[in-house]
Amino acid sequence: MGKTVLIVDDSNTMRKIVSRALRQAGIDFSTILEAGDGQEALDVLSANAVDVVLSDINMPNMNGLEFLKAKAEIPAIKDIPVVMISTETGADIINEAKSYGAKGAIKKPFTPELINETLGALL
Amino acid sequence: MEHAQHIIDATQDIFSSMIMLEVTAGEPFVRNNDKLINSISGIIGLAGPTKGMLAIHMANAAALAVTSAFLGMEVEEIDDDVRDAIGELANMLAGNMKSVLDPGGSDIKLSMPSAVYGEDYSVDCLAGAQSVTVPFTFDGLGFLVELQLRTDG
Repeated sequence: MGKTVLIVDDSNTMRKIVSRALRQAGIDFSTILEAGDGQEALDVLSANAVDVVLSDINMPNMNGLEFLKAKAEIPAIKDIPVVMISTETGADIINEAKSYGAKGAIKKPFTPELINETLGALL
Repeated sequence: MEHAQHIIDATQDIFSSMIMLEVTAGEPFVRNNDKLINSISGIIGLAGPTKGMLAIHMANAAALAVTSAFLGMEVEEIDDDVRDAIGELANMLAGNMKSVLDPGGSDIKLSMPSAVYGEDYSVDCLAGAQSVTVPFTFDGLGFLVELQLRTDG
């Protein structure tokens, strides 16, 4: 049965690019959901069964780190794995994201192969 | 002209891996607030001990070609998709430059991407900043990547 993924990014263009890369990555995703910031992502996770989340860090309203912290407080969704996908991949910020529960990080620019490698280990 | 090679490496990497376009770098230069005509600029601000901006300036024709390749669909006018795509390109370039300038990732803060466009506008230099601009070409079209940095203290 195909997996469901949630893409969280304030850029509509980047959500399209990530969505295309997911289809090219060879992982069987039956549903690709989208959210424009962390708060929208929490709303989507509360209403849908999601297998994995790909989240940007630098977003307005609720950024990726704030999203991770808020998600960790909600028992029904706290165990859904999140991979950060961002231009911000310095050691400090990635360690901070991992301390809030992120399972990995993908640096922009990325390739479908890198997405396959990172998500394949989680699904 | 410090950082020119980093700009070239980052730009060629982003364009080849995300847009499937091979771009050729020209000779780096210092841009003198020249007006930009029928263009769009994606801009990211850098804040912290090292501050400045990273900008990508594209004539409309180049921006349409890049966005079309980026999205995998034909784009015929400067719309939200084009502004978003050029802003996101600036964001990726700035993130790459940040990893060079601030490997730990905690000293330099990046702004959200913004896009400026129009028939005739200028993007001014940060006072006291060192600046380098690299021209690139692809398929007979061109664009500029500009980095301005000022380190206080």
